[in-house]
Amino acid sequence: MSEPISPERFALLAERAGLDPVKIGAERFEELRQGTRFLARFQASVRRTGTGSPRERAVEPAHIFVHPRQTGEG
Amino acid sequence: MDPTQLSAAASSRAIAAGTLSPVALAEAYLDRIAALDNQLHSFVLVLRDEAIAAAREAECDIRAGRSKGPLHGVPIGLKDIYQTKGIRTTAGSRRYLDHVPDADAETWVRLRNAGMILLGKNETHEFAIGGPDFTLPFPPARNPWNPAHYPAGSSSGTAAAVGGHLCAGGMGSDTGGSIRGPAAYCGIVGLKPTYGRVSRRGVFPLSYTLDHCGPLTRTVEDCALMMQALAGHDPLDPASADVPVPNYAAALDRRLDGIRIGAIRHWHERDAVAGFGAGNEPSAAYVAAFDAGCRTLERLGARLVDLRVPPLLDYADANRVILLAEAYALHETDFQKRPELFGRHCFARLALGAFLSAADYVEAVRRRRELCEATASALAGVDLIVSANATGPAPRIDQVGTYATFERPSYTAPYNLTGLPALSVPIGFENDLPLAFQIAGTPFGEAAVLHAGFAFEQASGIFERQPPIAASLPGR
Repeated sequence: MSEPISPERFALLAERAGLDPVKIGAERFEELRQGTRFLARFQASVRRTGTGSPRERAVEPAHIFVHPRQTGEG
Repeated sequence: MDPTQLSAAASSRAIAAGTLSPVALAEAYLDRIAALDNQLHSFVLVLRDEAIAAAREAECDIRAGRSKGPLHGVPIGLKDIYQTKGIRTTAGSRRYLDHVPDADAETWVRLRNAGMILLGKNETHEFAIGGPDFTLPFPPARNPWNPAHYPAGSSSGTAAAVGGHLCAGGMGSDTGGSIRGPAAYCGIVGLKPTYGRVSRRGVFPLSYTLDHCGPLTRTVEDCALMMQALAGHDPLDPASADVPVPNYAAALDRRLDGIRIGAIRHWHERDAVAGFGAGNEPSAAYVAAFDAGCRTLERLGARLVDLRVPPLLDYADANRVILLAEAYALHETDFQKRPELFGRHCFARLALGAFLSAADYVEAVRRRRELCEATASALAGVDLIVSANATGPAPRIDQVGTYATFERPSYTAPYNLTGLPALSVPIGFENDLPLAFQIAGTPFGEAAVLHAGFAFEQASGIFERQPPIAASLPGR
């Protein structure tokens, strides 16, 4: 498991994202920072290709949300 | 006879035969909610007067020969992310505590047109992700088998209510397992249909490309009946598919002769620990129940083969990145301007989306395509898949951490990512708490999935064991 983002960098990234630590509250802000320990795993996992090289250019994003129209007439 | 002991299908047959009144059925469920829901917290709103009025109307219609079919007069609950016209819909959030929609979810319209009676709105994790959270206005639902334990989520209230016999069936939603996880822990049946099979219109979104709507029921037959009403093209849902709807109930058969089922064992036997670390092994009781379940499928005539697909972690992590990115975009303004309105878990989980990049999201969607293709390739040699669900019994509700969802393997997420239909069916018990596996199928292959689930359920008889809270009320 990775370490969470450092407090200093986290504060910078949060500010860039428009998140307000005062509105969020110190406890919740720190809990969110702790959650960033999962992000490195996610980011590495989705880039893993099994070849050690970046994904081939031809690999398109998924489009499973576009289904062919079926008329039932073959 | 206590009518709440009947499945939805059995209730329907009794109503059709004239031996059960829809009004008596609705009243029996409402009495159970009044007497028992202080233990389960499964409803956030009970519509007693409206339900009885609708049941009276159903009774009149049925007596006059105007039956709407096998669901007419059967009472259900809806997860409180389903919009209900004129009826408060909170999504489990302070942000929507006073939200009264001016339109119904398409799924509720279809169920109501089929004659179902709405008993009320079921507790949900906040925005279908943030729970169990004790800081929210509504207490989290409890497991009907043991209220000290977690019913899973996010369709926690619906599953607890169905499992506890506080309604005959209900609707959940599933973005990473939110129908099938609660079905497993509550000992009931839950179906995540194919992406596009059931309309999502009017259901509060979590992640546009991963969200699915589906039923939670006590039996597979009940699930088939509800799917018959739910399935079909909705031209106003951009993801809805225009694919013919088969007769699901007609597909139910007690034999599985000649059906080829691929068992994905490496997810729970190796990938859980390899990907998520020690402590994520399936329990010995779970492995025994899974293997016994597979043997039952073989006894019914199915031919089982071991199936290899990509590692579980790959599906789970791609699912998480897509979910976090899409959900963060949906809530970005509120995270920036009104973060105090979010409960602890919802905020801590979804606000992580702020720290993902556009490239992270695109790579996740490209990985999704690779995983879809790899799964489709493996599925080409079989008719169905059997794979694990949660690999142990429900934990205590006070032991579910904020980031448990990222720390533990998700056996359900692969089917959200690939869009394939997947059914959770009970397979046994550990410490008097239910265990389950999943039966998955080809795109729009719900009929085959339900057929296998029905045959297994009837052969195993596990569904006949009910939690103590499901027993009849005194005097019934």
